[in-house]
Amino acid sequence: MKKELEHTFVELLEKNQNIVHKVCRIYTNDQDSHNDLFQEITIQLWKAYPKFRGDSKFSTWMYRVALNTAITIYRKAKRAPKTQDFDSVLFKISSTGYDDTEEQQLKLMYAAVKELNDIDKALVFLYLEDKDYREISETLGISEVNARVKMNRIKKKLRTILNP
Amino acid sequence: MDELEILKKDWKRRENDLPHLKASEIYPMLLKKSSSIVKWIFIISLIELSISTFLNIYLTDDQFWLQVETIHLKTITVGIYIINYLITFVFIYCFYKNYRRISTTDSASMLMENILKTRKIVKYYIIYVLISTGITTMLFFIFSILYPPVGENSVEGINWFWLLLIGIAVTSILLGLIWIIYSLLYGILLRKLKRNYKELKRLEN
Repeated sequence: MKKELEHTFVELLEKNQNIVHKVCRIYTNDQDSHNDLFQEITIQLWKAYPKFRGDSKFSTWMYRVALNTAITIYRKAKRAPKTQDFDSVLFKISSTGYDDTEEQQLKLMYAAVKELNDIDKALVFLYLEDKDYREISETLGISEVNARVKMNRIKKKLRTILNP
Repeated sequence: MDELEILKKDWKRRENDLPHLKASEIYPMLLKKSSSIVKWIFIISLIELSISTFLNIYLTDDQFWLQVETIHLKTITVGIYIINYLITFVFIYCFYKNYRRISTTDSASMLMENILKTRKIVKYYIIYVLISTGITTMLFFIFSILYPPVGENSVEGINWFWLLLIGIAVTSILLGLIWIIYSLLYGILLRKLKRNYKELKRLEN
């Protein structure tokens, strides 16, 4: 029974592993941390799997568990940007020099996203994953209005880095 | 165009560069429990050493050494203590090495190899404890009869056959008790490791 459960779980995870890799990509900066976070998320998914009843899609459930794990670890490790104000971060990034090539713009934006706090990062991540506000608010356990407000704020800030 | 849309486009493009793990690589991650089992083996061995050191200090008072001297075993006892501590430290070091190795393992075959190694070392450790306790007990038993306290019966007229039989029986009971304790302490952990090993092997096949 347990072996069957394990087999199904590993199969599902193998098929949907991109989600976990992407969460790792947005929350970590190097390969070692990426691997560590991937393993931690896998364990948390495995622990929570018996409670997964299939009333949501496996991938939707994965988003929730993976993001919660990343957020928890991120908080525990106190690697959060010391409640740094987003504006100061953007100032730091944009003052390093502006270049309007798309590559440079992307670099700046990724750097800005990396500096976001744990929840905002999750928000951007879900947005990049093409999730609508209803899904974002459900996954993160915040209200839809709150998600919209936060997202607009992030968008506005990103615009200011690219068009100073 | 929305800035985040540019980012989204790139994010999607970069999806192709994501690593892809095989099921056989994911499986060991579920077995992270192996590393916590090996950690417990290391912790238990440390607790065991602390308890035995405490008991040694507590029990080896002046009277003990006086008795040991009466049966002409003082030098041997000191020697046994030194050798015993040295060997125990070597085992504890091995347990620590196992723990370090197993917690950094990321391939199923390496994990299997490490599980086997850990099980082997724990078994050697238990065999060592049983043999050393057996030899020490028999040694003390024989010497306390060879050198009885002054005023008591001397060795003459002793039935060595029966005496040896009693000695072996007492030692066997003692070893049996130690074996039961160790089976409880390490046996459960070793069985769990064996189960993990079997799961890994099934997957490899």
